[in-house]
Amino acid sequence: MVGCEGFRAMLLGKSGGGEELGAFYPIRPECQEDAPRTRFKPRAGKTLSPRRWHAAFSEDGHLDFAKVLRRIQRGGIHPAIKGLVWEFLLGCYDPNSTFEDRNQIRQRRRDQYTIWKAECTNLVPVIGSGKFVTTSIITEDGQPIIDPSTSNAQEWHVNNAVSDKKAIQWMLVLHQIGLDVVRTDRTLVFYESETNQAKLWDILAVYAWVDNDIGYVQGMNDICSPMVILLENEADAFWCFDRAMQRLRENFRCSATSIGVQAQLSTLSQVIKTVDPKLHQHLGICFSSQTLVGLIG
Amino acid sequence: MARRPDEEYDYLFKVVLIGDSGVGKSNLLSRFTRNEFCLESKSTIGVEFATRTLQVEGRTVKAQIWDTAGQERYRAITSAYYRGALGALLVYDVTKPTTFENVSRWLKELRDHADANIVIMLIGNKTDLKHLRAVATEDAQSYAEREGLSFIETSALEATNVEKAFQTILSEIYRIISKKSLSSEEPTPANIKEGKTIVVGGSEGNAKKPCCSSS
Repeated sequence: MVGCEGFRAMLLGKSGGGEELGAFYPIRPECQEDAPRTRFKPRAGKTLSPRRWHAAFSEDGHLDFAKVLRRIQRGGIHPAIKGLVWEFLLGCYDPNSTFEDRNQIRQRRRDQYTIWKAECTNLVPVIGSGKFVTTSIITEDGQPIIDPSTSNAQEWHVNNAVSDKKAIQWMLVLHQIGLDVVRTDRTLVFYESETNQAKLWDILAVYAWVDNDIGYVQGMNDICSPMVILLENEADAFWCFDRAMQRLRENFRCSATSIGVQAQLSTLSQVIKTVDPKLHQHLGICFSSQTLVGLIG
Repeated sequence: MARRPDEEYDYLFKVVLIGDSGVGKSNLLSRFTRNEFCLESKSTIGVEFATRTLQVEGRTVKAQIWDTAGQERYRAITSAYYRGALGALLVYDVTKPTTFENVSRWLKELRDHADANIVIMLIGNKTDLKHLRAVATEDAQSYAEREGLSFIETSALEATNVEKAFQTILSEIYRIISKKSLSSEEPTPANIKEGKTIVVGGSEGNAKKPCCSSS
């Protein structure tokens, strides 16, 4: 089958709409006021239900993707299968592959993730411990910083000086990831759990290690968060995030004078100029002036 | 450009909020402009800003406060935002010594990119976390004196000294500006008085977003 957790979700999920989205992604009671509201309303019969999703596979696992895409576009995906569907939407799996192919790929990817994560844990033992850091663990010249306020600091943190440049660069960003993890989707009950926060931290930390060219840039936490919520298995969530980043990583590329997303904004400016010159003239002030980046916020 | 009566002001002062990630820059901004504080606030991506019009030394001043992402990698773009800034609030977290140690880096950054006459105020935020304090008031005070900065400790959560911090820096800017225009007898530069406020109008909506809304 597509994956054991996914299969479980498919079995457990009730077909058709009706269930409130809130039941799947509960918001902390004290945050109801502040949480952004979705305008999306699941409509019974229009939503891609677990039953229809299941029916879209042939016996050996080929997926009739065009059929489900139409439904997803019209009525969205039932929360019970969202993680599974996203794996296809993000391109983790080829719809023409078989169940067997995908099982093998999934296993291989999980093994790969385990190897990468072990490399990280080896350098910084707090990775994979269910805890994470929000203060610097290393100086720029590779000297470990022990935060006295953290218990068991010696077990978790870096104990010896580090000389490898790549490792230092990576370690320097770990507390930044932590600072953003504690500020990611905090209105959701899901992130009340330190384990779930640590899961997000681990994935972003491993990604920054593997893609050291981009590393970690603020904002990647928001892209990764839904994967962490939707995919129970950490490695599967990592690979979904990796797929999303393949499309988005250039936005995060920083040089001394620019950041990748600026190029995208000037493309947007060009498009608006062609499609709606009047709007462009109005926005022109923003596009041409220093406020360019204000538009991202 | 026609302006609504409620937007009339004598001066427009641009002030930037800088400092390490997670020291509370955005909450200082929301406390000052909307009297709001949000425990669940998100990290700032790139640059955001908000405005508030208030009385400073008997004049109506529109304070345009620019809030920037704290991560070093965003420096590439944020450095452009110092342009035209008359004041800078350099924030550290009184419970995190590294954020105070990095103040000197931020000062260097200001000296490299901002106007030489920019008014700088050092702010030690999060004084409500009394049991976690790790930077002594005296240390920061003497550092500020050495570097010629004004200094104040605040709590955006408890709304302690936030108003005072902004009032102080805006008054200081006003004194410098008014002194300048008196001595030179020349009209105040366009970016300071009136005019060129188009930039603000374009994104005015930013200031009206509810706390915690994803932007």
